[in-house]
Amino acid sequence: MPKLLVCYKWALDEQDIKINRDDLSLDASRAKGKISDFDRNAIEEASLIVEKQGGTVDALSYGTASVKQSIKDALSRGPNKVMWIGDGSAEIADAFVIANVLAAAARKFGPYDVILCGEGSSDMFYQQTAPRLAQLLGLPCVSFVQKMTLEGEVLTATRKLSDCLEQVSVKGPVVVSVLSEINKPRIPTLKQVLGAAKKPNAEIKIADLGLTPEQLTPKAVRKSAKGFVMSRKNVIYKESDAAANVAKLVASLAAEGLR
Amino acid sequence: MAGVFVFSEDGALAQQLLTPALELKKALGQQLVAVTADEDTAKKLATLGADLVVLLRAEQKTPEALVPEFGDLCARENASVVLVGGTLRGKHVAAQVAARLQAGLATDAKTLQIAGGKLLCTRILYAGLGICEEEVELPAVATIPPRTFLAPAAAASAGKVETLDVKADTRVAVASTTPISTEGVDISAASKLVSVGRGFRKQEDLNLAQELAGSLKAELACTRGIAEDEHWLPLARYVGISGQTVKPEIYLAVGLSGQVQHMVGCRESKVIVAVNNDERAPIFEAADYGIVGNLYEVLPLLTAALKN
Repeated sequence: MPKLLVCYKWALDEQDIKINRDDLSLDASRAKGKISDFDRNAIEEASLIVEKQGGTVDALSYGTASVKQSIKDALSRGPNKVMWIGDGSAEIADAFVIANVLAAAARKFGPYDVILCGEGSSDMFYQQTAPRLAQLLGLPCVSFVQKMTLEGEVLTATRKLSDCLEQVSVKGPVVVSVLSEINKPRIPTLKQVLGAAKKPNAEIKIADLGLTPEQLTPKAVRKSAKGFVMSRKNVIYKESDAAANVAKLVASLAAEGLR
Repeated sequence: MAGVFVFSEDGALAQQLLTPALELKKALGQQLVAVTADEDTAKKLATLGADLVVLLRAEQKTPEALVPEFGDLCARENASVVLVGGTLRGKHVAAQVAARLQAGLATDAKTLQIAGGKLLCTRILYAGLGICEEEVELPAVATIPPRTFLAPAAAASAGKVETLDVKADTRVAVASTTPISTEGVDISAASKLVSVGRGFRKQEDLNLAQELAGSLKAELACTRGIAEDEHWLPLARYVGISGQTVKPEIYLAVGLSGQVQHMVGCRESKVIVAVNNDERAPIFEAADYGIVGNLYEVLPLLTAALKN
């Protein structure tokens, strides 16, 4: 029976982040957390595999103290267990630190036959976690997967690259990153949500992972962040008469030389 | 011998990487080393300012299979900065080389410079809602999206080409590759686009957008939901952070709300026009012109008006 690990990030929902028009600063004070979009696909894929052919799925997340809020949502999506690391270091962690932490946890609680990640996180979109994890764990990596099957120890996958589809096979253990088109993440049913409350979750203390201070010190530091504001004309026609609006729009397009 | 290293499996992108690499070489006073597995690319890069081109010769030439040797080369030669072309393969390679070097990696860097002995890059965050400056300790790795820079002019003198026989990592076996058919359409090259979202109630209704596109001589584009969830249009037509990036003369967005993940793929369009029934939809803030109204009423009128 395969033993799967799926890594996910508890990220701020970018739809709730507002740009302050005066200084272009980003206001995330009202932003809620969510399981990063592509990671939901990874959780779904892992869950589909074990629901079909048996095995177990552990879910693993490293974040600030707020990561605890993700447990129920994660468990209602299929995994048997959630392991979470809620630590202040995550506030400024870069992909180097994130991979070091996840790799240490995977080593400690593994071995796993397949480790799945989303293609990138919805907030930072570093797109580094899966290939870095594979390198740190000495495992092969299959990235940007659109379709996958696991038969015994052999993973067969279709990778979607910029200009081609690539069919690959690899003997596990292996690290995989999935694309959003691989599946449609479930909307947990009431039964799944209630069932999640009965599943175990375990807190992992970062101090117990045996990492050196250097491994927890980011190599990439964000110096400044500001909102991206488009300068647009914002000429909006909103009369009740649709034909009048259309006539004005056509005149505007003609003035732009776009007819 | 420290150096600035560049790698891309895409020959054109490899040339583009030399432009920022030459600046970094100047700032650091180090040699510029280009790494490639393609012989023609190697010759070309040697004429464009690379002091040394290392031609990797291996049984399997996929970039992923060359990671261990490329990573070892960067480590052995004390690379200060490694620039990798930001294709999906390139991102895989860059992340693994960064892990090998225990280095930071700036994904999709738009600008790069050396400041205070570190690599300072700008990149997007929150799916394009914001941009940030990231400072990466040396050795640093960065990926650079295609067409961010133009290839440099020919250098006064040609660099040296050295061939290195290497052992490929064959743990992942490639059974076959199939080119992706874009059904003859490359929306990133279209000068006019009509883009559709979930405001359309059913697939047949896209005819309204198709007719509008016909009257404008535009191509059809769409949101991720239309391509990926509804399968109403092919994946190659969806615009957004994980889809296509387009810069048409006109981007006519119909029945789409304008979420950041979508807008990051079209915000460099010259003129953005929105048709949406929700006056508060974010698309209107991103639009030059807009009509608040029911698309089922507006589109036929607009199509007719544009035909005249």
